[in-house]
Parts: sequence; structure tokens; C-alpha cells
Amino acid sequence: MRAEVPGTDRAETPGTGGPLLSMRGVRKRFGGVHALRGVDFDLRRGEVHVLLGENGAGKSTLMGVLSGAIVPDDGEISIEGVPVRFGSPRDAHEAGVIMIPQELDLVPGLDIAANLFLGKERRRGGLALDNRRMRAEARTLLERAGVSLDASLPVGSLRMGERQLVAIAKALAADARILIMDEPTAALSAAEADHLAGVTRELAARGVGIVYISHRLEEVPRVGDRVTVMRDGQRVGEASPRAPQSELVDLLVGRPFSELFPPRAASVGAPVLELAGASYAPDRPRPGWQHTRDATLSVHEGEIVGLTGLMGAGRTEMMSALFGFGTTGRWRGTVRVGGVDAGLGSVGAARRAGIAFVTDDRRGTGLVLQHAVSENVTMSTWRRVTPFGFVSRRLQGRAVSRAIADYDVRPRRPEALAINLSGGNQQKVVFAKELLTRPRLLLLDEPTRGVDVGAKAEIYRQVRSLSATGLGVLVASSELPELIGLCDRIVVMRDGRTVCEFGAEADEAAIRAASEAADDTAAAAGPHAA
Amino acid sequence: MSLAAASAPEAARPRRSPVALLVRFQSLLGLLIVIAAGLVFSPHRHGRLLFLQPDNVANIIRSISETGILALGMTFVIIAAGIDLSVGAVLGLSSVTTADLLVNDGWGLWSTLPLVVLIGTAFGAVQGAISTRFRIQAFIVTLAGLQAARGLALIVSDNSFININYGHGPGSAPPAFAVLGERIGGVFPVATLVFILLAVAAVALLNVTRYGRYVFATGGNERAARLSGIPVSRIKVSVYALTGFASAIAGIVHAGQFSFGSPNDGTGYELNAIAAVVIGGTDLFGGAGSMVGTVAGAVMLGALANILQLNDVSPAMQLLATGAIIVAAAALQTYVGQRSGGGSR
Amino acid sequence: MRINCRASWLLAGAVLALSATGARAKPLSATCGPNNDYVIGVAQANFKEPYREHVDHELQRLVKNYPKFKLVIADGQADVNTQVSDVENFRTQQVDLLFISPFESAPLTPVVTSLYKSGTPVIELDRKTTNDQYTSFVGGDNRAIAEQAGRYAASQLPDGGEVAILEGLPSSSPAIERLDGFKAGIATNPKIKLVAVQPVDWMEDKAETVFSAMLQAHPGIRLVYTSNDLAAAGAYIAIKDANKLGQVKIIGTDGLPGPSGGVRSVADGQWAATFVYPTGAAEALDLAKRILIDCASSVPRQVTVPTQLIDQSNAKGLYGKEQF
Repeated sequence: MRAEVPGTDRAETPGTGGPLLSMRGVRKRFGGVHALRGVDFDLRRGEVHVLLGENGAGKSTLMGVLSGAIVPDDGEISIEGVPVRFGSPRDAHEAGVIMIPQELDLVPGLDIAANLFLGKERRRGGLALDNRRMRAEARTLLERAGVSLDASLPVGSLRMGERQLVAIAKALAADARILIMDEPTAALSAAEADHLAGVTRELAARGVGIVYISHRLEEVPRVGDRVTVMRDGQRVGEASPRAPQSELVDLLVGRPFSELFPPRAASVGAPVLELAGASYAPDRPRPGWQHTRDATLSVHEGEIVGLTGLMGAGRTEMMSALFGFGTTGRWRGTVRVGGVDAGLGSVGAARRAGIAFVTDDRRGTGLVLQHAVSENVTMSTWRRVTPFGFVSRRLQGRAVSRAIADYDVRPRRPEALAINLSGGNQQKVVFAKELLTRPRLLLLDEPTRGVDVGAKAEIYRQVRSLSATGLGVLVASSELPELIGLCDRIVVMRDGRTVCEFGAEADEAAIRAASEAADDTAAAAGPHAA
Repeated sequence: MSLAAASAPEAARPRRSPVALLVRFQSLLGLLIVIAAGLVFSPHRHGRLLFLQPDNVANIIRSISETGILALGMTFVIIAAGIDLSVGAVLGLSSVTTADLLVNDGWGLWSTLPLVVLIGTAFGAVQGAISTRFRIQAFIVTLAGLQAARGLALIVSDNSFININYGHGPGSAPPAFAVLGERIGGVFPVATLVFILLAVAAVALLNVTRYGRYVFATGGNERAARLSGIPVSRIKVSVYALTGFASAIAGIVHAGQFSFGSPNDGTGYELNAIAAVVIGGTDLFGGAGSMVGTVAGAVMLGALANILQLNDVSPAMQLLATGAIIVAAAALQTYVGQRSGGGSR
Repeated sequence: MRINCRASWLLAGAVLALSATGARAKPLSATCGPNNDYVIGVAQANFKEPYREHVDHELQRLVKNYPKFKLVIADGQADVNTQVSDVENFRTQQVDLLFISPFESAPLTPVVTSLYKSGTPVIELDRKTTNDQYTSFVGGDNRAIAEQAGRYAASQLPDGGEVAILEGLPSSSPAIERLDGFKAGIATNPKIKLVAVQPVDWMEDKAETVFSAMLQAHPGIRLVYTSNDLAAAGAYIAIKDANKLGQVKIIGTDGLPGPSGGVRSVADGQWAATFVYPTGAAEALDLAKRILIDCASSVPRQVTVPTQLIDQSNAKGLYGKEQF
């Protein structure tokens, strides 16, 4: 079970002396679920220890234990050799263990200085706050966090990358000895992520021990000194950050990665979606929304086409625009669905054209969580189960029980509430709902986000068998290996444009280079099938 | 300083969009527009603008002193992401209790006023405690509190209004209490002076004390506040105690201003107070707001009503105009919130 | 500060000084005369109650007979603070005369006093302020009208029986006066038993709810007195719902005209009677004419407009007559 990866190179780790942190045999059960099955973890002073794992692998639970938010059932924690027991995040804070959660613990309405000193305000004698002193100290802290910002700016006016750095400064203000960063780059642009990596290294150089939770394999070699991989509540291995990514992936998923994917289709049919020089003009532009400009791509019957690009490249936006979701608008250029000009730009038009959309946020936009599975499954096809406007329990029941069987939704009860289903089963309900509309084109945005490996394999199989019936599938994902394994072709986007296209079995590094290229000339060198 | 900082020079550029500046002074902007309109449309008499007559200005600020006081407390509650619908009713309870104690029970000022303030503060604190302890939405708790305070007021007053007569001996209130209805130098209303003093205290409490920070933090990101060691529950209870305190003071001012206490006093004032707070740029979702804005919002509502009335605009149109102003203020806030991009709630 | 203030009120101050030096023959208004135009401010307590609406309509209808007068009506929104502001604004505008129906007496007294002292004649409608600083009062006598209603009720139930009262907004003075008056009126017949008194805040829906419950608790109720017409309408619905039409007599107060008013309800036989609470609009406008146009140096301090009993004997005639 345990696979110690060779190549772990301790000589390179800059840690000094004994371990700063040592966790031994940590166990935690939630009801019948073993979230942690006796995990060991340690951290040296001045090192960045990357913690990798799929969703549900137990890394959040482990860090919850370390930061005092979760009380373990069993196990020992010691810091600098002294056993500790945290009953609350406050306890951990006081011991110098600070967690920077993904949802940053900052108050948007207060300025930076006020945030940094929240709970330990500097005061002048009596009641009055010493704003001048706090701002001066804030400047020093911000400098240490590698950013120079006016400390009187409200946090709400900062970009995400800047907020991340403010959160680090806040941890420094609390005299952090151990800093836990939970997927800090999830919402950052590539440049911001680069900058953050530099700051992280610098902090470590000053003696702070850093646990860096991530699922972005590509950033591991840039920040990490050591990598620990978790799966199914266990520590399954330790690796060097310079180990090949395929090795890490195999560790993460527990079996050779390629086995997850079904074989590709033998042949494809007529085109279902054709875009040529297509741009989208929304009726109400949204700030920070990367609108599609000059996009060219095609999806054929029985074909799965992947859409990749960095965060903010406009993948989600293109899908939303095709579906008219978020904001109505007008397409310019060629947009054909099933060979005819579709006049897309609203949800109604997309539905009439035979497009179905599985969004990247099933809890927010895919499902009504408080409603039963049956209501959710028939939500997009109400007309079909309500003849003359009256709800037909019989028709609804028939449609729902067939959908539950087809998509293997567990539990098999139509009356179960969506909120009580696991992530994978929720995703199956969303699939069932969308496919009941009998689409010819299926848009999938991050279809495997937040589901475990088993459910991922199930979803891949499902998507492939759907496409085998003649459905065209366009799938956007930030996980490149997933696209490479699943798709027949992959289209790369940047700044709202489609920049190039790769065939099956494409090279991950080449796609990445095309995604990150600063301009089109650099990209032109990358692709081998444009 | 660090090498890392140099690699991201764009992070160093402080940004202040003109729109954000607009929202910052949104309430003052509205006030300025209304005052400008007042100057343009003011009727003249003997070659002078009626709107700017010292008497007229005094009338405006007198008319908003009570809702203004309520709005000061309400600002704390709303910034802490709460709401208090009971303020008008607590004003009535305080007003009638003051009248009853002074007139019917022969109490002196030094015993009556502190007791009324204590009752109001306690009433608010209890509402806050119920809402926090039992996790009931503040809207519901204070809606119930509104009913309860009206009921208590009817009990205290024995279903009747109480006229306050001044003098010595039974059935009369101490003459000193009448000062609340007077005008300094014949012009400046004492009730407004009370409002201004409280406003200065409220601005200071919100902006320069640790307590104010905690209120912002509690409303802006409760989890962050809790993690930072802020006693979130206590802060939540305290803001309702503050509205109760403000309501009690407003009730005393009401009783003194009109020499009268009725259990029906202050009916609907809670909505005017909320309107002043919202026009002042405070976010109904909590976490952001301005006390100066609230004061400006209250003055603006008073000035608007005044200028409409001076021009013989019909009462129906006055209500429509007030409604339109509230919606415009809210729309501006949303618009700027989207533009500045910081509107994470 | 004082000087500034005095300067802006120079004219008014002069009037006050003149009247104080014993010039009794001087007219009540300094700006009076047959050729001027006049603005009369009307500080109405609120626009919510049908009775107030009726007063406003009457004033606006009758003012057409006085081409020199312009009425400006302000809504006090059932709030003393608002109504005080209304009067203050009228003072700023320097209206020539004020009509006021105070929402509550005592709170409006200081501002009315100050306006009156500045030389503006004040005619109070329906409710007086608490001192003598006004020109004239026009209104009905709530207590007397309610007492008359009580005597009428006593006469309708010569053999006695159970009686209920639906009071107005508790703590408002007309509600209290009408309650006391009616109680005094029915006391003339000792066989009558008052079994229930509940406030319904002048409101129809509340009257219906409250009276339905009363009929449950006291099935023997023979007559109900309501402090206004709206409450009487609510009581009628409650009686109808309880299938007791004809078994419970209703006496209302206000006697408003129009298709939804009390006169019609009596004419249709739904209520036994209602007592007109007079608006005094005609009387008030007549006083204004005497003060402003005729330059009267004195007018009556008090004009009490008598009530009128509307019952089966006259309701149909009155309702028919007003269809002009």
C-alpha cells in the first residue's frame, strides 16, 4: 500500500535541528467515515512542506487538527518537542500555528492595517486607536510579506493576489511559527502565483515552517522542499518536489493514471458546433469577466473536445456565453449548431438549439440543494412531466426512476434531498437533469471538481458512452492530465481567444507552454497541430 | 524591499477609482444635491431665500433629531449585519415611561432619566441576547420586540397619553425637563444639540475605538472576527444594547420636546431610521458603512421633506420623491460596489 | 442671534406690539383686505382615516366659493413630530392663516402658540391645543355626541340587554372621550349590561376580528357601539359571518357620506344608526373669510357644530340628496 518514492533527497532540505512539528498516529472519524487513519506528519524549521491529495484524501482534516479547528480522536502533536493539545483555533493561534484558509479570513470593509491588527489593536493610552502606529507597523509587515500597499486601503478594493499577501502579513503579525497555506494559488493569476511562490520561499528562509496544501502539481517544484501525498485518510508516500509529475499523479490516484480513462471513439460524425471568428458581446458586461473574442473551434458528433487555459483565460466564460448563462448577449462571427446559424445568446435559444450545460458549481447553479432528487432531475424538463400545466406524478416518477437507474444515483430514492448526496452523486443528478433535455451538444465545466477518484472514473466512462451515442461534448477543465486522458482534441484559450489546438495524446508540457505564452508568437512555436 | 516585491511592481500601485471615491461620499453627495435643489427652488420672500433662513434650517435639523438619534444606533446594528425594527416602539415606551414617572409617580429627573435609559438599553440587550443565543434572525426577534415594547408602553400608560405639565408638587414634572423643547437663542433646538452630541460620540466610537473595529469585523466576516479573538457574541448583543440606548434617549427627547408621552409615539420611525442609514451608504449586508453618512442621510431626508413642502408639493408626491431617493441611493451603492470589484460579501 | 431673528419677523412683531398696546379694534390679521390673495395652511393630522379624508374633501370643495383663498394641505402622518414640522414650515412660508387638526393636543401646543403669537390667525378644527393661544375652535363635542349615542342605545333596548363597545386607538383623546360619553349615555338605562370593551384602533379589519371573538364569548350581545364608521363596517361583517344579522344592532360614529360611508350603511339597513361627527369645514372657511377679507377684529372663540342622528327615518333622504 505504502509506496516510498525513491529520490527523496534530504540533503537538500534546509531544515535545521529537530523537527519543528511532529504529528504521530492522528486518527479522526466522522460518523462511519474514517477521515484520518493514523497519519504521521512532520515539519522542519525553514522548510516548505507540500501536502498533496485528492479531494477527500484527508489533507484538510489533518490541517484542521493542526490548526485546532478539529479535535482528533487519537494521536499526538508536539511542537519543538513539547506535546500540545489544541481545543480551538485560538489555542493554535497562541502557539504560533496559523492557518490561511482558502476563504481568506479578512474583513473586506476594513482597511489593511485594521485587518492586520484585528483583535490586538494598538491604542493610545485609553480608548482611542493609534492608527498612525498601526499603519507604520503594517507597512513593515507588508514589506516582509513582499508587497507594498497603502495600509489605509480597504481590503475589499484589493485584487485576490494582493489579499493573499495581506493574509500572509496578518499571519506574520500574529508571530506565526508554523504557517498553513490552503491552496493559496487557487484564485490567482499565473503572475500572482509566481510572486507568491517567491514570498513563500522568503518566509521559509526566515525560519517559518510552512505547510503548503495544493493540487496544482506544476507549482510543486517551485515552492516545495518536500512533498507528502495523502489518499483515503492515509499518508501514502513522500517524494521530492523534483520527481516527475506522472509519479506524483500515480501516487495521488493510487493506480496508474491512464487506467482511469475509457478508450477513445473510433470515428466521429457531422459537426454539432462550429465557431469561426466568433466573439460575444454581453448585454451587461461584468467586471473581471473574460469575454470570448475571435474564437474558432468545432465539436463533432461522438467527439469529446477539451478546453484548457490558465485561470482567467475565459473557458467558463465561453461556455456560459454559448449557453447565454449569466448575461444575455449577442454572438458575432460564425456560430453554428447542427449546421445552422443558431442565434445563441440566451438560455432559451441554447435549449432550443439542443445545448445542455453542466456548470462548474453544482451546489450554486446546478442543483436546488433543498429539493428532492426527483424535483432536480426534472427541473430542466418540467414541460414534459406537466401536461396541460398539471404536474403528473406518474410521468415524473417514470422519468426520475429511469434517470436514477441510468446514472446510478445513490441512494436510489427519488425523494432524497440533493443536499444529502455525496459530491459524485450530486454530479450524476446534474448530468441526468441536463441529458433529459435530449441535447446534441453537452457543455461540461470542471465536471470532476470536488469528487473522489472513483467517481471521476465513473464520470469519464459516462461521458464517453454518451458521446458514443452521437452526442458532441465540449469539456473545460483546469486539470490537464484529465483532458489529455479523456479528450479527442484539446483547444487552448488565452485572454478570451482560442490560440491553438492539439490532437489526442498531446504532450502536457507543450499544452502548458501554449497556455502560458505571453503572446501569440511564443505560442506559435508550441503546438504541433494548429 | 524583497526581491519578490520587485517582481510584482503592479501590486505596489495603490488604486483609488473615482467611483469608489463617489461612494465614499455618496451620502454627502446626496445631501449636497438636495441642498443645491433647495437653493434653486426655494421660494423667496423679501428678496431672501426661505430655505436658508436660520429659522428654517433650525426647523429642518429639529425635525430629524429623533430619527437621527435612532439612526446612529441603527448604524452600529446594520454594520454588524443585523437589523433592529423595535427602535420606534422602544422610543414610545421610553417616552411614555418618562412622562409617567415624572407626572404620575412624582419622580425627579435624576432618578427617572437614568432608569429610562437603563430600561431601553436592557430591552435592546435582551433582544440581542435572544437573537445570538438562540440563533433567531434579528428581523424576527426585533419584530417581536416591536410588539412587546408597544404592549409594555400601553401597560405603563394605562392605555392613555400623558400630558406633561411643569411645576412643583404632585402631578407636575420638574420645569428643567422642559429645556428639551426649547431653542437656544430662540433659534437652535436643544433636541438637535442632543443629537449632535450623540452623533459626535457615535462617530468617535465607530471610527477611532477598538469597539468600532470589532463591529465592522463582526459584520464583515464573522469567522475571521471569531478567529482573531473578538468576542463576536458580545459585540452582537452590545450593538442592540446601543440601539436600545439610542431609542431611550430619543424617547426622552420626544417626551421633553412635546411635553407629552404616548404609547403610540414613534410609530414607523424605525423605517425612517433605516432609510437614513442606507442613504448614508451603509451596506444592509453589514461590514461596511459610515456614521457621518448616516447623519448626512438623516439631514438629507429632512431637507428634502422641507424643500418639497416649501414648494407646496402635495404629500403624495413627497412620499414618491422620498421613495425614489432611497432607491437611487441603494442603486448607486450597488453600482459602485460592482465597479470597485471589492464587493465580496 | 436674537436680532437676526427679530429682523426676519419684523412685520409679525409689529402686529404683536400693536395688539399688546390695547388696540382692540385692530383686525385679527395684519394683511387683511378684500383685494388680496391668501394662502391658508391646513395641518391635517393624517391622511389615513376616512374622516380626515372627508374633511379635506369638504375643505377643497367649499374653498371654491372663496376665489381669494388657496389651501395648502400638509399630511401630519399621524406623528406629532411630522405635524410640528408641517406647522413650522407653514410659518416659514408665512401663510396668512392656519387651519389645524392636531394629531395630539399637548405636543402641538408650543408650535401653534408661537405661530399665533407671531400674528398668524389660527383656527383649530376637531381638536384643541391645551392653552388659549389660538383664534377660534370649530368642532363637535366628542363626549356629547357619544353620550347622545349612549342615550339612543338605551332607548333602543328598553328592556335592557348585553352591549359591547369597539373603541378607537386607545390613548388617543377622541377614543377616550367617545368611550366615556357612551358609557355615561347607556347608564341612563340600568338594565343594560356592558359586557365587553376592546380597542380596534379605528380599523375595519381589526373590528371584524375582535367582534367575531366577542360574539363567540358573549352570544347574547344585542347592540354594539363603535367609535367610528369603519369599525362599524367591520362589526357588520362579523355579525353576518356569525349568521346573526338582525339580532345585533350597530351604532356607528362619523356619518360619512358617499357610497362607502356610514349614511349609506344606515340607509341600507345594515346599521341601526350613526352619529355625524361634523367636519366644520364650512364654519371654518366662513371664519377665515371674516378674518382675512372682512378684516374682523373679533370672531367667536368657539363654534360647536352640532351632531346629527342618522337612522332609518332620515338616512335614505340624506343619501339620496347628496348624489349631486
